[in-house]
Amino acid sequence: MGRIIVANRHGHQLVEWDTTTDTEESRRAIAEAERVLEEARTNGCAISKKVNGVHVLDRDPFDPDAEEYQIVAPIAGG
Amino acid sequence: MNEPFFSRDRNAPDPAPGTSWWSRCWAWLWGLEVDEARPLGPVELPWRHHWDHLPKRSAGFGFSRREYQDARRRADDVARATLGEALWARLKRKGYLDLPSRLYPGITYRLRVGRRIEVRCAPGVRSPWPYTYLCINPTYPLPEVEFFAHLYLYVRDREEEIVRVAAPQPWDQSLGRTF
Repeated sequence: MGRIIVANRHGHQLVEWDTTTDTEESRRAIAEAERVLEEARTNGCAISKKVNGVHVLDRDPFDPDAEEYQIVAPIAGG
Repeated sequence: MNEPFFSRDRNAPDPAPGTSWWSRCWAWLWGLEVDEARPLGPVELPWRHHWDHLPKRSAGFGFSRREYQDARRRADDVARATLGEALWARLKRKGYLDLPSRLYPGITYRLRVGRRIEVRCAPGVRSPWPYTYLCINPTYPLPEVEFFAHLYLYVRDREEEIVRVAAPQPWDQSLGRTF
């Protein structure tokens, strides 16, 4: 089970997908997760990926086998 | 994309009854009970909205006290998981985390929850900025501890971005876009 933590004013909400089953629904969930991640990147967000238990900012394409991503808010001065 | 008052995605379904500003007004007018413990609706993708019109340190109109409490609790969980137990414990103990600069030897960034970054210089080292504090906000409202974890990741992994956007300030202050 993979997930994207979407940080927002609610604290965060989750986008989840499952790679252990190959169904239409699971494929749709993976495609949706990839779309959310790419949309966030396009809009200036940074993406953090959990690697060996540690979150690191990441520029690689979406990996459905990743355990966890986090969408990190864009920053601005002032 | 031009949301004049509320920051809602036009394509998103209506919020659950009792959670929108209008629902609250309606409930107030008719003496109805507002259900504030309702679970969250669809995932809110904050980059789709405009937030510039919101008051400082606010999550938006119609956000209840309960929603602020829940948001801060969830933010605590994610910040803790993002930082890891050791850093989380250090933050709780000291009230800040220090991160050495990769770009400027002798410079340390002191990160504090909901506050500007404090730039600290080793003896004999001159700061690259004219002032001690760097004002950096998220572009959309977030609980302050959640943004703290984001800022930590930026400073550690992408300091260039911090240098690019930072607004140096002579005084310390709360961040305006967090709550």
